[in-house]
Amino acid sequence: MSEPASIVTLSGIHKTFHRGKEAIHVLENLDLDVPSGSFEALMGPSGSGKSTLLNIIAGLDRPTSGTVRVAGEELTKLSDGQLAKWRSQTIGFVFQSFNLIPVLTAAQNVELPLLLTSLSSSQRKKHVETALRVVGLEDRMDHYPRQLSGGQEQRVAIARAIVNDPKIIVADEPTGDLDRKSADDVLALMDRLNKELHKTIFMVTHDPAAAERASVQRKLDKGALQ
Amino acid sequence: MNLATYARRNLFRRSGRTILTMIATMLAVFIFCVLHTFIVAWNSGANDAAVDRIATRHKVSITMQLPKHYIDDLRQVPGIKASTWANWFGAKDPRERVPFFAGFAVDHNTWFDVQDDMKVAPDQLAAWKATPNGVILGDQLAKALEVQVGSRLVITSNIYPGDWEFTVSGIYTAARKTVDRNTLVFRWDFLNNDPRSAYSKEKLGWMVSRITDSAHSTEIARQIDARFDAQDDQTLTMSERAFALSFVGGFASVLGALKWMSLVILLIMGLILANTMAMSVRERTHEYGVLRAIGFPPGHILGFIVGESLLVALLGGLIGVVVVWLVINHAIGPAMAENMAGVFQNFFTPGWVLATALGAAAVVGLIAGGVPAYFASRLKTTDALRRVD
Repeated sequence: MSEPASIVTLSGIHKTFHRGKEAIHVLENLDLDVPSGSFEALMGPSGSGKSTLLNIIAGLDRPTSGTVRVAGEELTKLSDGQLAKWRSQTIGFVFQSFNLIPVLTAAQNVELPLLLTSLSSSQRKKHVETALRVVGLEDRMDHYPRQLSGGQEQRVAIARAIVNDPKIIVADEPTGDLDRKSADDVLALMDRLNKELHKTIFMVTHDPAAAERASVQRKLDKGALQ
Repeated sequence: MNLATYARRNLFRRSGRTILTMIATMLAVFIFCVLHTFIVAWNSGANDAAVDRIATRHKVSITMQLPKHYIDDLRQVPGIKASTWANWFGAKDPRERVPFFAGFAVDHNTWFDVQDDMKVAPDQLAAWKATPNGVILGDQLAKALEVQVGSRLVITSNIYPGDWEFTVSGIYTAARKTVDRNTLVFRWDFLNNDPRSAYSKEKLGWMVSRITDSAHSTEIARQIDARFDAQDDQTLTMSERAFALSFVGGFASVLGALKWMSLVILLIMGLILANTMAMSVRERTHEYGVLRAIGFPPGHILGFIVGESLLVALLGGLIGVVVVWLVINHAIGPAMAENMAGVFQNFFTPGWVLATALGAAAVVGLIAGGVPAYFASRLKTTDALRRVD
């Protein structure tokens, strides 16, 4: 079966949170198509629903109503267990605060998603070396996160995101905790992943400079795409 | 790397906290083992009692005495090979060199025939039978009271008034490890003829019989008691083990309290461990969110936390068990056997207590880790990712 032109298709998405008796409508009747291989930036003020939308695309959260089709899978029909497995095979995550496991080395952090696969130890090692080479940190394999700079930590996190060759990389404020130089390096790396490895990237950011790197910029305000 | 690597690395992430928790677990296991060692030591005499001996006492209580002529009636019961009797003397060392020891007034003609696991040299036995105020003591008691054969020994009683002066006729040794080496026996007729014992004149405390066939002990016991059913003083006959337990029975509430205390210790250990695990889980909630995001199912999160808790409990428990084995079985136990055998003749922690303690530590570890692990694994990934400690 051929892959759809849109790798992400959201239709009629509503997301409502409840705080006590109060209902907070975060996303309202939202439609979105993300073509395969695109690099999209999502901007918007705090509380506009950016992270919620990202979580729904990544299969971390479910909409209150609407349909979510990502990489050919209707996510609202998957159980939690199926969703976890789907995420491990389809999505690479890059977080603002890197979120590396401090007690594991760079290589072990990158290897984490592969522990859920049936790859042998030597196969996993090859994948890890490749991923760290792509991000330019093959010489930091045995370093612990505390021995790396912020920029290096984020590149290790990116290596972890791509090690299982996901179709989509979702990034939540990937440059939020970095200085300008490190941020530029990370954005350049993401650009390369998009252009050379054809990864679809969906990035939430507050940073206009970061958004400019993306091929498509979208703005979310009060739960609706502008 | 494998999944266990992460759990193992987490173990010493907060090394101070982990080590303190392990020490608490070790102490709990140590105290649990010591308490159960006390219980086992109290019961050891009963557990190792001879199977071919039965004891007969007053049906109402061991403290009530029986007419002396009962021994003659008992000897008529088929299946009885030999019988003897004794009275509790309530012996005390006036110089308090020994905190407690058993002192019996016994029938000098038959006692050592029935209690043949108390070994005494023939010449000493003959001397005792020829000496009205002769006394025979266990070798450990003789050492503690600083007496030898031929020594003069003065003891007092918490039943009979005044000083009681004896001549040491002999010293017995134990044929079996669990025979008390701190007992003192003297002649029943010496007690019976003394005016201070008017209370127990021509009375005996209990009778001990060796039977021809231990398989029929229940039937023989029934026949003995039936023989005295129509008398004013009825009897209760039981195995030597049950008889020994009836002595221990006075301490039953203490032993019961010790058992409860050991459970409370385990509970405290569980709470300490649970607190440690709860703190660890709270600190790592965000991290578990990351693991869940990249595809780890809830079962893995549960396994990481429970595995870590189990490892802490087992390591602490293992150290505790080794400490018990070294301290109790190789230091305190032998010292008690040497110096306090009247109280604890067999103060050693058996393997099953060590295994139970380790098993209990493992179960406590599972439960202590299981509760926070359950809640951590049930947490929504997005909620966990939002949590920053």
